[in-house]
Amino acid sequence: MAPLTTYPVLQVENLTMHYTTRKGAVKAVEDVSFSLDKGEALGLVGESGCGKTSVALTLLRLLPENAQFLGGHVYFFRDGSDEAHARRAVGKPVKILLDGQEHQGRLVEVDRSQLVLDARLNGRTQQIKLGRDDIARLGVDLTALSDEEMRPIRWKGISMIFQAAMNSLNPVYKVGDQIIEAMQTHMPIPIPEARERVAQLFQLVGLDRQLMDRYPHEYSGGMKQRAVIAMALACDPDIIIADEPTTALDVIVQDKILREMRQIQKKLNMSMIYISHDIAVIAEVADKVGVMYAGGLVEFGPSEAIFKSPIHPYTKALMSAFPSIKGEKVKLAALPGEPPDLIKPPSGCRFHPRCPYATEICEREVPKFIEHKPKQYAACWNPLM
Amino acid sequence: MQAAPTFKPAEAIWRVRLQLFWRGLKGSWAMFTESKIGLTGLGIIIFFALFGALWPAYPWLMERLAWTPEELEAARNVPYGAISSIYQVYDPVTGYDPLIPGIENPTPPSRRHPLGTNQFGRDILAQLMASTGSEFMLGVLAALITVFIGTFIGAITAYYGGFVDTFFMRVADVFILFPLVSFLIVLGSMIELTLIKLAFVLGILYGFGQITVILKSQALAVKVKPYIEAAKVAGGGHFHVIFRHIIPNLLPLSFLYMMFNVTGAIFSEAALSFFGLLPGIKVSWGIMIDSAHSGGYILGGRSFQNWWLWMPPGIAITLLCSAFYLVGRGLDEVVNPRLRKR
Amino acid sequence: MKRIWQTLTSGMSKFIIVRLLQIILVLYLYMTLVFIILEAQPGDITDIYTANPKITPEAKEAIVKQLGLNKPIYERYLNYLRNFVTGHLGCSFKWGNIRDVPDPVCREQRPTWDLIRERLPRTIVLFLTYTIVSFYIGFFLGKLIAWRRGAIIEYFSTVVGVVLFTVFTPWFALLLVWLFAVNLGVVPIGGFINPDSWTNIRQIGSVDCSIGISCSNIVFNHMLLWLGGLTLFWGIVYLWSRRFPYPWQRNTARWGAVALGLVLAGLFFGGGWLGEIDRVVLARDTKFEFFVWHFEFPAGTIPLFPLALDFVQHMVLPILTLTLISFAGTMLLMRNTMLETMREDYVMAAKAKGLPDHVVRDKHAARNALLPVVTSLIFAIAFSVDGGVFTETIFSWPGMGQLLLLSALEQDYPVAIGSLVFTGIFALVAHVIADILYAFLDPRIRYD
Repeated sequence: MAPLTTYPVLQVENLTMHYTTRKGAVKAVEDVSFSLDKGEALGLVGESGCGKTSVALTLLRLLPENAQFLGGHVYFFRDGSDEAHARRAVGKPVKILLDGQEHQGRLVEVDRSQLVLDARLNGRTQQIKLGRDDIARLGVDLTALSDEEMRPIRWKGISMIFQAAMNSLNPVYKVGDQIIEAMQTHMPIPIPEARERVAQLFQLVGLDRQLMDRYPHEYSGGMKQRAVIAMALACDPDIIIADEPTTALDVIVQDKILREMRQIQKKLNMSMIYISHDIAVIAEVADKVGVMYAGGLVEFGPSEAIFKSPIHPYTKALMSAFPSIKGEKVKLAALPGEPPDLIKPPSGCRFHPRCPYATEICEREVPKFIEHKPKQYAACWNPLM
Repeated sequence: MQAAPTFKPAEAIWRVRLQLFWRGLKGSWAMFTESKIGLTGLGIIIFFALFGALWPAYPWLMERLAWTPEELEAARNVPYGAISSIYQVYDPVTGYDPLIPGIENPTPPSRRHPLGTNQFGRDILAQLMASTGSEFMLGVLAALITVFIGTFIGAITAYYGGFVDTFFMRVADVFILFPLVSFLIVLGSMIELTLIKLAFVLGILYGFGQITVILKSQALAVKVKPYIEAAKVAGGGHFHVIFRHIIPNLLPLSFLYMMFNVTGAIFSEAALSFFGLLPGIKVSWGIMIDSAHSGGYILGGRSFQNWWLWMPPGIAITLLCSAFYLVGRGLDEVVNPRLRKR
Repeated sequence: MKRIWQTLTSGMSKFIIVRLLQIILVLYLYMTLVFIILEAQPGDITDIYTANPKITPEAKEAIVKQLGLNKPIYERYLNYLRNFVTGHLGCSFKWGNIRDVPDPVCREQRPTWDLIRERLPRTIVLFLTYTIVSFYIGFFLGKLIAWRRGAIIEYFSTVVGVVLFTVFTPWFALLLVWLFAVNLGVVPIGGFINPDSWTNIRQIGSVDCSIGISCSNIVFNHMLLWLGGLTLFWGIVYLWSRRFPYPWQRNTARWGAVALGLVLAGLFFGGGWLGEIDRVVLARDTKFEFFVWHFEFPAGTIPLFPLALDFVQHMVLPILTLTLISFAGTMLLMRNTMLETMREDYVMAAKAKGLPDHVVRDKHAARNALLPVVTSLIFAIAFSVDGGVFTETIFSWPGMGQLLLLSALEQDYPVAIGSLVFTGIFALVAHVIADILYAFLDPRIRYD
């Protein structure tokens, strides 16, 4: 088996999710696809209310009651030898990476040395048997898991730094205890060891270890932010989703924390998804960028390529607001009009009413999300080449 | 008040204010009607108001609807206790039905007595109706006094702060922390409480209590608003600021707490009269339950024997109390934006 | 140990000291208020304490002297305050002496303080039990209703909640007596004990209670001490076990303590205790024969538990009534605050951490929703004490509330005023305790 230099940890395919409200369905996430590799940082950027956070919540299956999951797959990859992961995948749609090849199907059974897959090959479904040792990566579709099966994946597989880090610490418990709680949920670790690990994490994010026995209200905003980052790292997750990780902080602290997060991510070779409305933040930390508009992904690709030559007019417009590092809602100078109503989104390309390059077809048909330049995907009829 | 030169547009301002007020009221009403809770409460209150208002007409109606001419004739001619007018039958305190021998009382509901009679021969429905008015009056009067005191003290403590604040807050602690009904019980044993006196005592006891604290914190929020500063800069005196700017902003919340206070006042009156501590009050729902209880008609009877003696007044108290409480809850959703449905 | 000490000396003890000072001020204001009401009465103040034909002229003089009623008003005021501290509250008009040695001042009458001292524990037991039970039920139901929302359960709980919350207490109590005691006959109609069971008892432990001191008080105080002691013991074990590294160690310690406490209590009330303290010696053969364990007990003695059971039987209905009345308010409020905390980010974060559903609900959402509920409960303490007055009277439970009402009705003024002030003090102490417990629940409050 050839060692893989890079391999996926997450593949999102055609994710669609709506919220039911009294006024009608809010089409918050519409056909979103992207992938994330090991050790890579992905940035999701877009105006407020474009569905970035909804994507994150759909990945972790933390949606509110009025959310309706309408389709798509979220493949979460682990090593083929991970026993718990393989057991969890039985009966679920899976993707398997084998000798650089990808197999897709439904996992039928697993034993110590091999697993059986119902796969579609040559147009018909047939069973294939694969040796456990040959499998590089096994990806299970998270959307097919039950809540109870999903639980071990939360925080241990995918952890999250929430939008309002200030409020994601419970005010009545000591910060250290809240981190230990997360650890003890996923691994049997005695308190003294857990405390030692918390101390290490605090050191990593630049907090004094004494602070673990303090309550959240004794922390400053920046300290809380660091504590929340430490908490996200607690179980050594495969992926961390950082949803507007620094929005509530002042500019200087924001910059510092972002840089530290970037360092930690590189050091631990972690995969991260940054979510921000601020393209400057994304530019600072991300290897790959996904640009979202009105619930859909409009452009996706390596960050250098995108920042050098954006394909989608919306990306270009976003970048015109580039100099602002301030965490405020920026009114996009180059764009007339308001972000669309997601209950009744515009027909065709959702961006067409505000797009300076719009033509007649934009109004009529939804553009396909295709590779316009090498590895640079976009959904646009009139790409800027 | 200084003699200000009269402006013509003053009337227009007055009119504008009225219009604004009216618009605000309409908006609030629309919000209020959204909550079923509040509307249910309001419905029950209206029902009881009509029920109480109907009382003076009740004997007259019964004379025409329930009594046959022969019965009336007989009632005027019984050997002992003949009546001269129908009002003697339905008097809540001294009434009796001459056609029912005293020994037969209490009698179950019948044509002439839709909810029966008690052991003394009084018509239950008449008693129930006759007390409705006074329950209302007591509840509303006590609550008005409470709200008046609470709003005023709340505004003053918030505005002046310092010693005034400390003093009234400690006084409020006394009224919050101590059992007031126990206090009224002892007070009732020492002085004779009439309905009006009781309303005042209740109003004062509750007025200095929790409502002051709540309205004070609201007033503090109002106090820091820019228009207060503007009013002061424009030369408004303390009283001008308190009465024209702070208090009007407290009124919605005051009105809300008034509803809860009506519940408290009605409950207290019923409890005190149930225990016979209000000799000044001759007929009330509490007394009705007490006379059923002390006559042994509640615990003495198995199954639902004698239910008409004690179910109606108990249900009436509970319904009326919960009605005001429900209206309060409904108003809560209007006044506190926090609770509004998102 | 060091950490506990640090916590105490930093925010907490300061908080407690400030609260206590405030409370003393409030108590003083309350006493003054009662004094003003007393003085505002028409007629002579001495009449209120001595207007009883049963009191002899000498006794009257003694009372006037003891209470300082013949002094000018400011001295009377100081005397009044001092008397409450020293427990000189005058003599009851109605209650006769029950002791072997009569009180030197009151002679044939019973001192007010003696009555209050006897009745306060009974009220405390009732109050504590129903407060804890109803709080827990309200908390639990409110939590569940908020967690799994549904139109029907929402509607139903609101209707039941509002009706129970606003129901006319005495009437509702009568309704329950009528249902459970009169019709179903599962519990006694009222009272404190069943006198038939107690007439044959000669001594309890080594205390002879056949004359003078009431046997029931001794048994009741035993129960009270055990209840208090066990609660304290369990509380300490709970706090201490929080420091254990593994969850299973914590659980073992906690359940072990519960078991140990129950076994000890069982031994004491079942008659297996060392020594004589728990033997009830009967005067002659009694209907308690059934409980006599001939192997261990000398004939003519029984363990304590049938007597304790007598109390428990009489407590069931009052506690049920009070619980039903007061759990509804907690439930409605808990539901509302829980719905709010469930929207908080830390609840979302707890779910994201992969905690089991019930842990998210209990440890995160409910734990925070609890805070405003406890606050409102603290402010409702006075209201619950009032509720106790009605309930005690309806169930003839001889506690402070019944004493207050009876003495007010019979114009036994010294007792009425004494019990009014002590009811107030009782509410105040309950308030302070609840306040301090709240400070333990909410770390933010300690550091203000």
